[in-house]
Amino acid sequence: MLSRRSLVVAGTGARLLLADPAPIIVTIVLPVLFGAFLLPSSRAQLRQSGIANATGAEHLVPGLAVLFAFLGVSLVGTLFFREHAWGTWDRLRASSASTADIFVGKLLPLYACLLAQLAVVFTAGAVMFGYRVTGSLLALAVVLALFVAVLVAFGAMLAAVFRTMDQAIVIGNVGGMAMAGLGGALAPASTLPAWAQAAAHASPAYWTLDAIEDITLHRAGLADVTTPLAVLAGFLVLFSAVAVARFRAEDTKVGTT
Amino acid sequence: MLEIRDLTKAYGDHRVLLGVDLDVGAGEIVGLLGPNGAGKTTLISIAAGLRRPDRGSVRIAGRDAMRHRPLTARLIGLAPQDLGIYPTLTVRQNLMFFARLAGLGPSVARRQVDSTAEAFDLADRLNHRAETLSGGQKRRLHTAMAVIHRPKLVFLDEPTVGADVASRAGILDVVRQLAAEGAAVVYTTHYLTELEQLGAAIAVLHAGRIAVRAPLPEVIARFGAAGVALRFAGEVPHLPGWRVDGARLVPEETVADPVAAAAQALAALGARAGGLAGVEIVRPSLESAYLAITGQPGVAQTEEVVDALAA
Repeated sequence: MLSRRSLVVAGTGARLLLADPAPIIVTIVLPVLFGAFLLPSSRAQLRQSGIANATGAEHLVPGLAVLFAFLGVSLVGTLFFREHAWGTWDRLRASSASTADIFVGKLLPLYACLLAQLAVVFTAGAVMFGYRVTGSLLALAVVLALFVAVLVAFGAMLAAVFRTMDQAIVIGNVGGMAMAGLGGALAPASTLPAWAQAAAHASPAYWTLDAIEDITLHRAGLADVTTPLAVLAGFLVLFSAVAVARFRAEDTKVGTT
Repeated sequence: MLEIRDLTKAYGDHRVLLGVDLDVGAGEIVGLLGPNGAGKTTLISIAAGLRRPDRGSVRIAGRDAMRHRPLTARLIGLAPQDLGIYPTLTVRQNLMFFARLAGLGPSVARRQVDSTAEAFDLADRLNHRAETLSGGQKRRLHTAMAVIHRPKLVFLDEPTVGADVASRAGILDVVRQLAAEGAAVVYTTHYLTELEQLGAAIAVLHAGRIAVRAPLPEVIARFGAAGVALRFAGEVPHLPGWRVDGARLVPEETVADPVAAAAQALAALGARAGGLAGVEIVRPSLESAYLAITGQPGVAQTEEVVDALAA
């Protein structure tokens, strides 16, 4: 899967991300910033829902991390659309790199960036807001790794389906925020209205936060979060399948806004 | 190096290529000409593996380009018509990326980056972001990225558009060098003099097919029409074999040697040539040949006004 050429594409993809790091920085800075003033209300919500000693960080940190990670969805689309705007897409395709090499090479650096973003936000949450994990750190890492894979696949699907960057960004951001909100990133899913709690099951954010809550508060290990992991894997397969089915390398995309 | 057979391509009802055959040998530069919309870019896109034809075949170095895509792609260098560079990367990073993508190892790629930057007069810009380059430098970088791995088959689709005189000369030098090293070059342009400077063979894509494929001198000899006109200030005299065209006297039939024809006409007119204001000579050229092949009448041709003759 990881051919030499996909690694070459990934290397340049990483340089392109680092050349314009503002979007990634935003997804790191904003959750920390928001955390500073949302902690008291999160604490109150958790204590109301029956967790007596809650600091607020137990939900706030994962919630904000997941919420802002969804901004990465539009970054995935941008990766592909910018190649069209820069006129480099056809050059890539004319090279001896296969479409799979290009796809994997383009997605790999962003996957690593989004994973790093989550790691930084969780670490900052631990240092600044007292976030602690009672369960398995390995389980937390696996959940986050799978969640980021779902986000990247969702972004790739949007890039495959839509013709213009504007369409992909708008749908990515709106869809991402809706999924995050519905999934319990803004407030615990258990505090949402009944209809929203039912709809939350259709959001990858719900299953991610469900697993993280068990790992954070209920000493859960990998074996305890197999159901949310399986559902996230299902989302990954679904989004990837649509992306592969709809992606046409020769399609003309409009990469400017 | 490149063998195209019976290539057909349509976009919906619009049939662009109707059975194109084209061969380009190693060390040969072929100037691919055709009016706007003739399908030059489509032909190059298919040959470079970017589009699938409806019918026909493309063989590169004897291999079917569609079946053996990874192998044949290594042999290709493509500079598409539209500029394609990474603006936020440096010139070095742009070149290095395509060198490594073509399969060159790190040390070979570094050497190629240095020598190619030198050849394209970009050596002093290697560590600058591409977005800071001038238009001509961007165009040179764009072309350099196509040849960084010394491909055996190079497609250059209007590589000098927007380039200044110096940039254009530099690009032509590199194209000559590539051909001298044995690369087959397919070169499209609307600047016909570039093909004369390159000594390119000519292929004219017209009405969906290659209408003419021949060496430049042969194309000019077969299709390059010569012309002559005697321009008068006052009344235009009559002369057998010539007709009056406004204030000019022009031969009724094509002439092989326009200067000799003008001299003979002036001798025949004798004293009646007193109102002569000028002599216009149109020499056979690639432009006149191209216009004749593509049937574009009424387009101004290169004119050489020989006022000395009139005097």
